Amino acid sequence: MNFWFSIFRQTGRNLRQTWTTQFMTCLTVSLSVLIFSFFYLIYLNMLNAGDKVSDDLRLVVYLEEEPGPEMQEQLRLKISQFDEVQEIKFISKTEAYNRFAEQLGDNRDVLTDMPTNFLPASIEVIPLKTLRSLSQIKLFAEYLATIPGSQKVQYGQQWVERFYYFIQLLSIVVLLSGALLILTATFMVASTIRLTIFGRQEELELLKLVGATNNYIRTPFLLEGILQGFIGSLLGLTSLYILFQWTARHFSGAGFLDLFTFTFFPPGIIITIVLLSIVLCTAGSYTSMQKFLRI
Amino acid sequence: MTEATTSSRTAMIEMIKVCKKFPPNVMALDDISVSIANGEMFFLIGRSGAGKTTLLKLLCNMERPTNGLIEVAGMNINQVTGNKLAKLRQKVGVAYQDFRLLTDRTVAENIAISMEVSYKKPQIIRNRVKSLLSQLQLEDKHDILTGDLSRGEQQRVALARAVANSPTLILVDEPTGNLDATSTRQVMELLIRCNNSGATIVIATHDEALYQHSTHRIMKLHNGKLESLTRGDGRGWPSVAGARDSAGATDGSGDEI
Ligand SMILES: Nc1ncnc2c1ncn2[C@@H]1O[C@H](COP(=O)(O)OP(=O)(O)OP(=O)(O)O)[C@@H](O)[C@H]1O
Ligand SMILES: [Mg+2]
Repeated sequence: MNFWFSIFRQTGRNLRQTWTTQFMTCLTVSLSVLIFSFFYLIYLNMLNAGDKVSDDLRLVVYLEEEPGPEMQEQLRLKISQFDEVQEIKFISKTEAYNRFAEQLGDNRDVLTDMPTNFLPASIEVIPLKTLRSLSQIKLFAEYLATIPGSQKVQYGQQWVERFYYFIQLLSIVVLLSGALLILTATFMVASTIRLTIFGRQEELELLKLVGATNNYIRTPFLLEGILQGFIGSLLGLTSLYILFQWTARHFSGAGFLDLFTFTFFPPGIIITIVLLSIVLCTAGSYTSMQKFLRI
Repeated sequence: MTEATTSSRTAMIEMIKVCKKFPPNVMALDDISVSIANGEMFFLIGRSGAGKTTLLKLLCNMERPTNGLIEVAGMNINQVTGNKLAKLRQKVGVAYQDFRLLTDRTVAENIAISMEVSYKKPQIIRNRVKSLLSQLQLEDKHDILTGDLSRGEQQRVALARAVANSPTLILVDEPTGNLDATSTRQVMELLIRCNNSGATIVIATHDEALYQHSTHRIMKLHNGKLESLTRGDGRGWPSVAGARDSAGATDGSGDEI
C-alpha cells in the first residue's frame, strides 16, 4: 500500500512538472485513436451492410435443359468443387413459371396463352457470406458458365464488385491509420518520457543514491504511459461517439445512410481499442526507459 | 537480526589495498587498508585534495576502486547490484560535500526522500522530519525550497536527509564547513545520538575541534596515501561529555595498524 502511495505521488509530480508536453502527447494519442477508429467504424459498418446486401445475393445459372435427379447430383458436385457454398437450389421450368406468375400478380392474365414450360430451368447458387468468397464472385460466375448445360449466368455484377472493391480499399485505409496510431502512440509517449527523464536527471540520480529500487524509479513512468494510453484513447473514442451522434441526427432519413443502420462499436471493440492504446503507450515509455534510465 | 548480534565483533567497513586512479594520472587513493568496526565513529582528515571525498564515494559505491577490495556490512559492494544494492544503500546515509539537494523541492520533501524509497508510512515520515528539523533548529524552514536556503542551512538539511532513515552506516563529508559554533555543536550532537543508537559513522572534516579531544580513531590522508592512524587525546568534546566511547570498547584493530 505504501508502495502504491509513493508511486502515485511520484507520478503526480511527473505530470505536474511536464504537464504541457503530457497534454500535447495525450491530444496526439487521442487524435490518432480518433482517426483510426473513425475508419474502422466505417469499415465495420460497410461489412455489416455487405452482409445485408449479400443476403439477396445469388448466382442464377440458366440451363438448356431441365436436369434429372442424377444430373442434379452431378451439377451439385461440380459447383461445390469451386468453393463451398451456402445453398444450391434447382428451379424447374414449372417452378419458374409459377414464380413469374406470382410476380405478375394481377397481370398474370398475359400468361394464359403461354405454355408452362416456356421459361428455362435454372440453378440458384447462394454463396457463403464471407468477404473472400464474395470477392471472387466474378470468378465463380465464370466458372459456373463452364458447367455442362449452362446457358447464361446472372448476378448483380457491377454493383457487387464495386462494393467489395470499396471495402477492400477501406481495409487498407484502416491498416494505414492503425499504423499511424502505433507510430504516434509509441513514439510520442517515448519522447515525452524521455523529456521527463532528462528534466529529472538530478533527482533520478539522487533516488538511486539513497537506495530507490528499480520498481520505485520505473513504475511511475510506466504508469504515465498507461495513463496516456487510457485517457488518450478514451478522449478519441468519446469524440468519435459525439461525431457519430451528430452525423446520425443530421443525416437520418437522408437516402444513403438509410440503406443500412449505422451502428457504433460494440463494447468489446471499445475495450480492445482502449487496451491496445494502453499497451502501445506503455511500450513507448518502456523503450524510453530502457534507453535513458540506466540503473 | 544476525547482523545485530554479531555486530560488536564484525567490521562494518573493510578496505584492503584500495587504490583509486582518475584519468589521466591522478592517484586519488593509494593502497589504503583500514577496518572500521560496527558502531564506531571514525574521522577522516587531510589537506584539501587528499582523497577524503574519494574514499567516501568508494564506500557508497558512487565510484569503483581501480584496485582492492571494499566490504560494507560483509558485502563486497562492487559485486552488489540491482535491488540488493538499493537495499544496501537504504542502510547507508550519505551527507555529500556538495549536498545534492533538490533545489526545487522543500526542505521537508528533501529529507523525506530517503525514507520514501523504503516505503515508510507518511505519518512516520512527517514525524521524523519534524523531529530532525527541531534538532537542527530549522523548524521554520519546513516548507522553504532548499534552493532559497543559506549554505549552512543546506548543509544541515543534507545531514538530516542522511540520517533520516536511521541508517546503520552514516558517511558525512565536511558536515560543519559553513557553520557557526552553535550549529556545529547541534550537528555533532545529532551524529553522536545516531552513533549511540548503533550507527557506524565516518566523518571527513577539516575542523580539528570535532575530533581533537575525542577518543575516536582519526585517519589522516596525504595525497591519497595513509599518513597516520591515531586517536584523539580523549579529553572529550566540551559540550558532549555524555558521548559514549564506542571505538575503544569494541575494536582492537586500531592498535594493530
Ligand atoms: N572525477 C574526478 N576526476 C579526476 N580527478 C578527480 C576526480 N575526483 C577527484 N579527483 C582528484 O582526486 C584527488 C582527491 O580528491 P578528493 O575530492 O577526494 O579530495 P578531498 O580530500 O575531498 O578534498 P577537499 O577537502 O577539498 O574536499 C584530487 O586531486 C582531485 O582533483
Ligand atoms: Mg572533499
